[in-house]
Amino acid sequence: MNGAPRALDGTDPSTTILDWLRAQGLTGAKEGCAEGECGACSIMVARPTEGSGTQWTAINACLVPVAALDGQEVVTSEGLGRPDALHPVQREMAVRGGSQCGYCTPGFICSMAAEYYREGRCAPTAATPDPSQNGHEPAATANDPGNAPDHEHGPNGFDLHALSGNLCRCTGYRPIRDAAYALGAPADDDPYAARLAAAPPAARATRLDGATGTYARPGDLTEALSLLADHPDAVLVAGATDWGVEVNIRGARTPFAIGIDRLPELRTLSVGDDSVEIGAALSLSEVERGLAGRVPLLDKMFPQFASRLIRNGATIGGNLGTGSPIGDTPPALLALEALVVLASADGEREVPLADYFTGYRQTVKREGELIRAVRIPLPLSEVTAFHKIAKRRFDDISSVAVGFALDLREGVVTKARIGLGGVAATPIRALATEAALEGRAWSADVVREAAAVMRAEGTPMDDHRASAAYRTATLGTALLKLHAETATQQEVGA
Amino acid sequence: MTIAPERTTTTAPPTEVPAGAPGPAIGRAVDRVDGLAKATGTARFSAEYPIPGLTHAVLVHAPIARGRITALDTTVAEAHPGVVLVLTHHNAPRLTPPPARMNPMDLSTMAAGSTIPFLNTDEVHVDGQPVAAVVAETLEAAQYAASLVRVEYLEVTPTGDFDAELGNSTPVRSMPVMPPTGGKRGDARAAYGRSPVQVDLAFSTPQHNHNALEPHATTAEWDGDRLTVYEGCQNIDWTQKYLAKRFGISAGDVHVVAKFVGGAFGGKSKVWAATLIACMAAKVAQRPVRLALTREGVYRTVGGRTPTRQRVAIGASASGHMEALIHEVTSRKGRVGGEADQVVACSLDLYDAATILAEQRIVELDLMPNTAMRAPGEAQGSFAVESAVDELAVVLGLDPVDLRLRNQPGERSPVHGTRYSHRRLAQTLERGRDLFGWADRPAPGTRDGKDLVGWGVAAAIHPSWEFIANVQLTVDATGGVTLACAFHEMGMGTATVVGQMVADCLDVPLERVTAVYGDSDLPMGPGAGGSGQTASLAASIERACRAMRKRLDSLSDRVGMPDGSDPGEVLSRAGEGSLTVEVGADSGPRATWGQVRFLSKMVLDSRRWMKAATGAHFCEVRVDADTGELRVTRWTSVFDVGRVVNPKTTHSQLRGGIVMGLGLAMGEETLIDTRSARIMNPSLAEYHVPVHADVPHLDIHTLDDPDPQMPLGILGAGEVGIVGVGAAVANAVRHATGRRVTDLPLTLDRIVG
Repeated sequence: MNGAPRALDGTDPSTTILDWLRAQGLTGAKEGCAEGECGACSIMVARPTEGSGTQWTAINACLVPVAALDGQEVVTSEGLGRPDALHPVQREMAVRGGSQCGYCTPGFICSMAAEYYREGRCAPTAATPDPSQNGHEPAATANDPGNAPDHEHGPNGFDLHALSGNLCRCTGYRPIRDAAYALGAPADDDPYAARLAAAPPAARATRLDGATGTYARPGDLTEALSLLADHPDAVLVAGATDWGVEVNIRGARTPFAIGIDRLPELRTLSVGDDSVEIGAALSLSEVERGLAGRVPLLDKMFPQFASRLIRNGATIGGNLGTGSPIGDTPPALLALEALVVLASADGEREVPLADYFTGYRQTVKREGELIRAVRIPLPLSEVTAFHKIAKRRFDDISSVAVGFALDLREGVVTKARIGLGGVAATPIRALATEAALEGRAWSADVVREAAAVMRAEGTPMDDHRASAAYRTATLGTALLKLHAETATQQEVGA
Repeated sequence: MTIAPERTTTTAPPTEVPAGAPGPAIGRAVDRVDGLAKATGTARFSAEYPIPGLTHAVLVHAPIARGRITALDTTVAEAHPGVVLVLTHHNAPRLTPPPARMNPMDLSTMAAGSTIPFLNTDEVHVDGQPVAAVVAETLEAAQYAASLVRVEYLEVTPTGDFDAELGNSTPVRSMPVMPPTGGKRGDARAAYGRSPVQVDLAFSTPQHNHNALEPHATTAEWDGDRLTVYEGCQNIDWTQKYLAKRFGISAGDVHVVAKFVGGAFGGKSKVWAATLIACMAAKVAQRPVRLALTREGVYRTVGGRTPTRQRVAIGASASGHMEALIHEVTSRKGRVGGEADQVVACSLDLYDAATILAEQRIVELDLMPNTAMRAPGEAQGSFAVESAVDELAVVLGLDPVDLRLRNQPGERSPVHGTRYSHRRLAQTLERGRDLFGWADRPAPGTRDGKDLVGWGVAAAIHPSWEFIANVQLTVDATGGVTLACAFHEMGMGTATVVGQMVADCLDVPLERVTAVYGDSDLPMGPGAGGSGQTASLAASIERACRAMRKRLDSLSDRVGMPDGSDPGEVLSRAGEGSLTVEVGADSGPRATWGQVRFLSKMVLDSRRWMKAATGAHFCEVRVDADTGELRVTRWTSVFDVGRVVNPKTTHSQLRGGIVMGLGLAMGEETLIDTRSARIMNPSLAEYHVPVHADVPHLDIHTLDDPDPQMPLGILGAGEVGIVGVGAAVANAVRHATGRRVTDLPLTLDRIVG
């Protein structure tokens, strides 16, 4: 904890790291929503890179049980710096007016610091904003909406998505972005930068018993499956981005929680000749980094999935484990014809994702089974896309999500796989649309016909995210959008 | 309570110091005095004071909106390890009922969030009303035990459907001195009927909730009959006096501490259920109690912005002169509190229509009473009137900026007849038009790739307010200057700009000045509302500094130093340790005299002057032609907020207002289940405030032109930013798509239609 060990004795297994920190008097991290939406609770944890080093990773402290961080390294805004010894991120936020009421500030600091230390973030350039512009607006013209290289990256390589899970209600975000874009490279003697070269602490098996139940982290898969056999009603907790909400908002408690997020067998990523296998306990950020663009459809999905803070915690297995009809990975994985690898004490079995969901939050997963991995068959289709329509640009739940994977040969659709979310009680494949496309020309006429079929897919309903009519209309236009995009690409390519 | 004057001042080129600034500090983009404390997580908010023996309270909310508790079983909760007590209407102390009516001599009579006698009744009046509070040694134990309290209810069908109740509305009467909820110039209905060009549109805006990032939190501790309350509030004076009244103790026995407030926007002006219950629980437990609301708890126990149904009808001549402007509004309040927002206020002062009619009606529902939220009324009303004006421009084939300029009032307010203290709305429109490059506005419905591109404009106006600010100014022999006042710092930058104002008014270096604030032990401050705190403080600071300078000068005469000498040197030479000047008094005859003087000045002023901040917004939107997805891609606003004391904090306030306006335009909506009168989306996951990616580069400009009738020329900047934003976006959508969306928020299904 900020460089010194602190005992977890007497802590209840349902206590989040946020509540624990605040009870310890470390009140920098704050609660704004208790469900991973606002980021006021953001802290940094030392997590492994794909190599042998450490990556400072910002997560939502409000969601994670403190027991899950037993033996881990945690840094809060108080640990990063003090008023008389400021961290560079804190200095930039303070002098650029990035802090207004101040309640969201420590959370922004941690998210920003994690990005500050991200390996591969570019060195600062001469385009760093002039500090004398502080509080004064550089003139914006129709041709120059700002001085950043693009809308989501600063001249210093800062990826604005790092802050997508942090809400501010006061500043209008502008001074926060100014602070982020003004950051240079960490100094040579920066202890947090120096920490990156060495490995983070290994996960350790742990068990915490309390008034309302037990949290147990097994050492390996065998132990996990045997615990699961003994406690068939146990809740499997990985990134806790869903379970934390159940605990905080709906008052859920479980007699037995099994932490599976650090099981080595669930944290492998391998690319074989005929498939890519992704360990279920890899966070979406880890999957994104590990795949390094090898599955373009997933790359299109990742930035749309909640926020960086959530993706740093949420696992790919967890997104399937909850069986939600509006998760963002299922439409993409359905289009990729992914298989779910289920493990139990009796061995493993593979289930096509299309057969995995059986009803609203219901799946074929049996008692005693857990998701070990997700397998994506190779080769991949060449035309892929992910369309997510939501009320807000990022950090939101989708109204409708569509994953596309098409094979085209000489202008003919040889294979079409389309996954849909938000239009039925489960994520579904758009089978009728697929049939309407396969074996036919990828032409405007055929696409229009197939789009009409797609309008009728699923059974969308009215809710506060969108009306059924809107969802239907969106389905109808998604294919037209894809066709327009591929036409543009082909023109550009030619 | 003292913040060390640890300022890292930004060196601004001299050209950026506005002309006419009274001194070297005012007008400078000084860094926030508390930025370092906030960035390092060491700034203490009201739930963060370490208090020995602290207990934690968690509320049990009623799941019905109207009815009566028939059974209440707390035994299981009480038996849970760590539980100290469960407070219900059976064991809670009886409180004095809230004041029945407002007393102009004691505005804390307006502090009641609602009239519900919390935990003093078995009746339920709104969904989520607290019916019990569990107090435990740990937050975890209190949270879990709260789920173990069993309550049964006899439910009565609530009235929760705003639209269904519109027929049962009653007229709202304008109150003197209060913001106007109606007005009349000539016979607008007749003039409208005769007008050759007519636009008549119906609008709706939904309920909004403040969603300050800090959920309301109270830490309460009793010492005998003395109560200390750590409470992130925006009116310390109201909180102190109101709690004293309810608990039957003297105001002097209530100590309110509100050093850092994590955003408020109007939602922390009044005293809500949790504050009272924390104090009750601490009294019964005889232990300090902390009650930090959950996000849902804030939605359930603190009011939001009233929804509106509006009609705007404008009649004009073919040349674009407004002959008639009619604005009719219905808003809602709770059966147990709330009041009308000044929704029509903008329509009384934006345009010089030959005839004007503005009327408001109100309905009562079984919902949480509404309360002020950033530009209450102006935010919703400006959406309607500025959309209708834009539609008129479309119908007339006129440029919407030209139409607005053509209808600007002269020296006097068209309805009130009062004189504008200074009016710069036309200049904000003209300057914004140039800065945005409006001359290159694309043709309606211009398509760029998959997007339709549109440009929109809207005007903004927000009246200026002043309140009583008692201050104490002290100079010591080391040259240190301290201004003490129980004002509020919720992020606006008040603690910073106060130092700047004192430095220049007393002619001392900024680094010498320290502001002490946020504590009821200090002289009574102004409430942080109506964008009036800075101007209110400026008036008293000017007076205090003048008086201090006079005393310093007589001292310097005595010791043979020239007038205007350094205060520290004068005091040293005179052998004085310190010198203190007070403006106003908190109690006794001087306080009453201060009240009388303040009220008469307010009445007199309101008869003579119309003082207001104004502005103009220009924006570009892109609408996905297939999906209706809306992005705001460019934004320029120009404001007249009078003198700008600190461009850094002022611009941030204005930008923050615009971003809240973008929320109003594009996503924010509190959804009510009309059958159960229950909020369906009490969370930041389902109530969509703007995220970073929703917000374009906001280009903000201020005229920095002091208002001759306001203290130091300050008009206030907290609220004008949000006014007109909804219309600017809707007008750009109209320009892009040809579709006039009249219901907020502008969600993609409404844009697609």
